[in-house]
Amino acid sequence: MATLTIDHLVKTFPAIERGTAPTTAIDDLSFDVEGHVFVSVVGPSGCGKSTLLNILSGIETASSGSARVSEGERPARLGYVFQDPRLLPWRTVMQNMLYVIDETGQVARERALSYLGLVGLEDAGGQFPAQLSGGMQQRVGIARAFAVEPDLLLMDEPFSHLDAITARSLREQLQDIWTKTKKTVLFVTHDVAEAVQLSDRIIVLAPGGRLYADVTVDLPRPRKASDPRVATMQAELLGRFETMQAEVAAAKASIAS
Amino acid sequence: MATSTAAHGPRGTAQLSLAARRRVRGVAGLVLGVGGFLLLWTVLSRFVLGEFTLPPPLEVGQTMWDILRSGAFIENFVPTILRLGYGFGLALLIGFPVGYLMGTSRWWRSFFHDMVLVAGSIPGITYAVLAVVLFGISVLGPVISVALVSMPYVAINVAEGLDSVDRRLVQMSDAFGRERSSVVRHVLVPTVAPFAFAGVRLSFALAWKVEQLTEVFGASKGVGFQIRREFEDFSISGTLAWVLLFILFMILVERFLLVRVERYLFRWRIEDQP
Amino acid sequence: MSIAIDAAGTRKGPGGSVVGWLRSDAFARLASYLFLLLLWQLASMYEDRFPAPIEVFGFLWIEVTGGSHGGIVRGEFLEHFWATLPRFALGIAIAVVLGVATGVAIGGSKLVEALFKDTLLVLLALPAIIWAFLTQMWFGLGDDAVVITTFLSAFPFMAVNVVQGIQAIPRELRRMSGAFHVSTYRRLRHMQVPAVTGYFYAGLRFSVIIGWNAVLLGEWFSSSEGVGWRSRYWYDANRYKGFVAWVILFIGFIVLLDRLVLVRLQRRAFRWRDAQLSAIEREAEEIDIGVKGA
Repeated sequence: MATLTIDHLVKTFPAIERGTAPTTAIDDLSFDVEGHVFVSVVGPSGCGKSTLLNILSGIETASSGSARVSEGERPARLGYVFQDPRLLPWRTVMQNMLYVIDETGQVARERALSYLGLVGLEDAGGQFPAQLSGGMQQRVGIARAFAVEPDLLLMDEPFSHLDAITARSLREQLQDIWTKTKKTVLFVTHDVAEAVQLSDRIIVLAPGGRLYADVTVDLPRPRKASDPRVATMQAELLGRFETMQAEVAAAKASIAS
Repeated sequence: MATSTAAHGPRGTAQLSLAARRRVRGVAGLVLGVGGFLLLWTVLSRFVLGEFTLPPPLEVGQTMWDILRSGAFIENFVPTILRLGYGFGLALLIGFPVGYLMGTSRWWRSFFHDMVLVAGSIPGITYAVLAVVLFGISVLGPVISVALVSMPYVAINVAEGLDSVDRRLVQMSDAFGRERSSVVRHVLVPTVAPFAFAGVRLSFALAWKVEQLTEVFGASKGVGFQIRREFEDFSISGTLAWVLLFILFMILVERFLLVRVERYLFRWRIEDQP
Repeated sequence: MSIAIDAAGTRKGPGGSVVGWLRSDAFARLASYLFLLLLWQLASMYEDRFPAPIEVFGFLWIEVTGGSHGGIVRGEFLEHFWATLPRFALGIAIAVVLGVATGVAIGGSKLVEALFKDTLLVLLALPAIIWAFLTQMWFGLGDDAVVITTFLSAFPFMAVNVVQGIQAIPRELRRMSGAFHVSTYRRLRHMQVPAVTGYFYAGLRFSVIIGWNAVLLGEWFSSSEGVGWRSRYWYDANRYKGFVAWVILFIGFIVLLDRLVLVRLQRRAFRWRDAQLSAIEREAEEIDIGVKGA
């Protein structure tokens, strides 16, 4: 159980060419996450969602403010699911799992197998990624992230590259695994329906990386995408998005005039 | 083709018939290939150039058989192969670090760029003559020549391999907190391996030519030396016999060793498999 | 050596323009030439028979300019290049014509491919020295042996590249043309020729480089004039500085020809492929900027 504290986080990128202004990806963002929750970060493209994950995983550093993940006294362990599967093509599925697990020998193999079992791929250990379908590869990616037994699991639009039917079944599978393992999850997406179906809490970011809304989703699990309550909530959130976009457009217009 | 056979009948027989069909096709290809070669040779020898200028296949075959039977082949062949092996080992030993420097640092890339370029257009005879001048008639000459010829190709290919490393995989490894040594072993080495392998194959084909030349100029044993001896005896059939024996060996190595090694090393690319 | 300079430069303090220059690509290239010269100098000190750079360049100067006894016209350089170039050009010309014909025949028919592809591979594997020996035995001293050595060495490279070009035409393209009933002439003009052009120039480049080396060998064994013969002349006279000087002229010629003509031709022929690449890169860049700028 990890605690995630984001405190007045700012990230600016230096100007690409001389004469242009530096761009702000995240602007004074603060929120906390604690315990076994599934939190989604939703926003239009360019609102700094991926940047947030990159800062959390250490790929990029914050310009000011801080983003900390702690697990009592020790540094927290992170798991990561990417948009694309990012498996090592020259290693078998099992070897890909073992690559990220710190333990060795029988312990590691058993753990890898049990997480492959959770995504229904316990028999695919000896195959190479190229022998699996895109959906299966992404399931290996999910199993891999769970297999490091992370305190915080970061997911970066993991279903956006899959076809709609595969994505739907993977969402249900993910819900199922999350209920069994009870990890803290930070899930980035631009798909509101997906966020509503999966999350306990939805953080909405506005363009420019500001916090726009923090919504609690209090619906019973397991949820189906077809559940009318999910659909209602989704419509409500989309309404808020439209308001936000209108506000942004109005702000831009007032600057321009 | 694999899918069409798999659609009929059970899996086991489909695979069997596929393998059998492959074998038949392989044998047919070999028969046609060798047949075409011998046909062309016979026609040239009998009707175009004359049997004195180009001895017919049978005569050269007889000479090849004599060379094999007398033990002269093994006696000259082993030193040639050993020199090739040592030179090649040396090329890998130097080529890998140089390629690594070129692939990871701009400065070193510029440093080696022109050298490698010029080394590719140095005529083989230069290596041969310089080897004789520097080392006299010794084993060292051919070994160094082979190393110098092969090294640039190994280095360039290693550098190109490093260039094509998938950054997303490195990022993934970082996100999962993998150590550098582990990233090298599981991401860098597998990416570079096919490039290095291609470099080795390419330079192998060039290196043995330069080795023959070096042996022509400065050796007291070896296939190149024998070719020169036959030339000085004015024996066309002897010259052809030696060079064909060596080429035959190279083709066998290529067909049966390198192709198999390649298939095993790169078995993860499933499109190459049946 | 370069490392020593680098270290010395760093000691002058970071941020200085000297350090910046030492780290530049231009200096890296300069350093590589200095390094080679040093290596050469050391080799000449290790073995007396191996000439030092200064001797070689002095000798080269005399061979090119004719030294004290009169201008560049009297120098050996013009005379022997003049003898070599026609042989080289003729050999390459024959190799290109026959290479393209053979390549088209093998690439266009499965049967011809099965019959003669292995022969082509054997020819590829034959070292030029074999042709130099055989042609000397066949034709004795003279132009024939040299021209034919050049032709036979370069020919298989030309043919193999044309075969590859023809076989690289994607099957979907061929089917598409079939589906649209494209005429044979148009297929040839818009599909086969452009597809093969790049491979043709790649083959030409290989052939020229291989052929240039073969000319040297051919002249070494069966000529009494030309660049190859002149190198041999000094080699036989045990004057290695003469040999090395001619090798430098020889390499200089091919490097210039390659950089100034062949590489440009090849790049021109492949420009559709580069355009494709840069379009993809541009797209990626736009996406990148879009994300950060929005």
